Amino acid sequence: MNKTRIIGVFDEEHALMDAVNKVKAEGIEINEIYTPYPMHDVIEAMGKKTRFTFAAFLYGFIGSISVLAFLYYTSVIDWPVNYGGKPTNAFPSFIVVTIILTILTVTLASLFTFSARAAIFPGKAYDLPDARSTDDKFVIVFDKSNKKESVDKLNAILHEKGAVEVYEKELQLQK
Amino acid sequence: MDTRITVSKRFQYAAYALIAIGAAVIAYGFITQPERAWANLLLNNYYFLSLAIGASFFLAIQHITQSGWSSMFKRVPEAMMSFVPFAGVIMLLLYFGMHSLYHWTHEEALATDALVQHKSPYLNIPFFFIRMVLFFMAWTVMTYLLRKASLTEDEKGGFVYFEKSELLSKIHIFLLAVTFSFATFDWIMSIDVHWFSTIFSLRNFVSAFYHGSAVIVLIVILLHQKGYFPKLNESHMLDFSRYIFMLCIVWGYFTFSQFMLIWYANIPEETEYFAHRWHLGFKVIFYVNFAINWFLPFVLLLSQKINKNISIVKALCIVLIAGQYIDLYEQIFPGVMNGPVFGIIEIGFFAGFTGLFALVVSRSLSKAALIPRNHPYLEESMHHHVH
Repeated sequence: MNKTRIIGVFDEEHALMDAVNKVKAEGIEINEIYTPYPMHDVIEAMGKKTRFTFAAFLYGFIGSISVLAFLYYTSVIDWPVNYGGKPTNAFPSFIVVTIILTILTVTLASLFTFSARAAIFPGKAYDLPDARSTDDKFVIVFDKSNKKESVDKLNAILHEKGAVEVYEKELQLQK
Repeated sequence: MDTRITVSKRFQYAAYALIAIGAAVIAYGFITQPERAWANLLLNNYYFLSLAIGASFFLAIQHITQSGWSSMFKRVPEAMMSFVPFAGVIMLLLYFGMHSLYHWTHEEALATDALVQHKSPYLNIPFFFIRMVLFFMAWTVMTYLLRKASLTEDEKGGFVYFEKSELLSKIHIFLLAVTFSFATFDWIMSIDVHWFSTIFSLRNFVSAFYHGSAVIVLIVILLHQKGYFPKLNESHMLDFSRYIFMLCIVWGYFTFSQFMLIWYANIPEETEYFAHRWHLGFKVIFYVNFAINWFLPFVLLLSQKINKNISIVKALCIVLIAGQYIDLYEQIFPGVMNGPVFGIIEIGFFAGFTGLFALVVSRSLSKAALIPRNHPYLEESMHHHVH
């Protein structure tokens, strides 16, 4: 659904954070923030928590257990071979393989999780309010509400905190 | 903001009491079981030396990376490294115990054993002690210079001593890389004179860094609970815990590498080392070593909440103190004794050395302002904030 949004563009991350804190103190809801690189302060200010680390831990746990089980199955149960008199369950030599495959599992599974969650896939057209947020600008997006005074206040805050541009745009975003 | 520590009389008496108990047990040990006593002397002295060396490396890394977050705590590693000269004096006493500890000093081994003969240009008593003196001189001078630069910075300020500390630290880590490697080869690895491992020095160096850092964290936490370091916050704890976490992984990596390659290649002169450490009841120690020094910290410190929890991290550091003892016990005792022994002699030795270490470190801590005065990154350290 298309909506009119107010978009503020900042040059500096500190200016952005100042504006975010001020806007939040005024009780105006922020729609979304786009930054050229991840900023923990933004995640915190938006009141969001990531469960990503727990997912990664789970992938690692499941990955290492299944790799060990796989190695045990292939070299002990299914096809035992005598290598230089070693026991078929040569646990110390399994560990290196387990570490490497666990890292691979976690990396790939995390990548897929992230892509699914952010709805990103190869060939997807970008839906950014302002393409410069992939470059060097910090972009903050608000829904334009019907109340005139609140829009004026917002504009004033954004200019006061050093926004280089403030403009309105019709946008279809995920939320 | 000039906080100085006053070492309480109670703490001093406790340290003296530990030293007195230690001295009595040490005397008893040398009279009844000299071999065991020498092994204990080497273990405990090397133990506290490795903490001091690890602390000095920690400090050097902070200087070189120009870390802001840790500048508030730099007096703690500085105090710990003041133990180096004391360890040097005690290490020289090994002169009287060489025959009990090192097989290569025996005349009949030198006469009949081709390997010992082959190694004799390096492993002989005069050169052994020349090296020892050189190592300790280098460490004492470097730690003294680092400490002096830090104290002068307190008085004069400016960037001169900040940059000087960085330069000294660069020299220090280079010297440590060479000297500490040979020191571990000399003192620990030559106990099993037939055995050799090239990763040995690295492994022991990381172990020193690891447990040295754990003791730094423990001292910081203890001081914080006494009311010093009021600015210690969750971000500092997180960074300290990350240090321990990172070092636990590196420790596990090197220790396992050494074991796995030897186990896999299965060459008799190499495997003998672990074969010996798997029999005679030493096998438990082998597993406990991995459990305490790798598994426990690794699993615990995965969670950020635990990383920031002062009392859990404190308990972990105390466990790691035992971890370094077990690690060294596994390296030293099987080569000297015929079976695992642990009793009043081991406890007494450890108590005595703990008393000495506590006394030296607390004196050194009380001699200067606990929080450095003119460090350029002090403000950053006070308001450290990470996620």
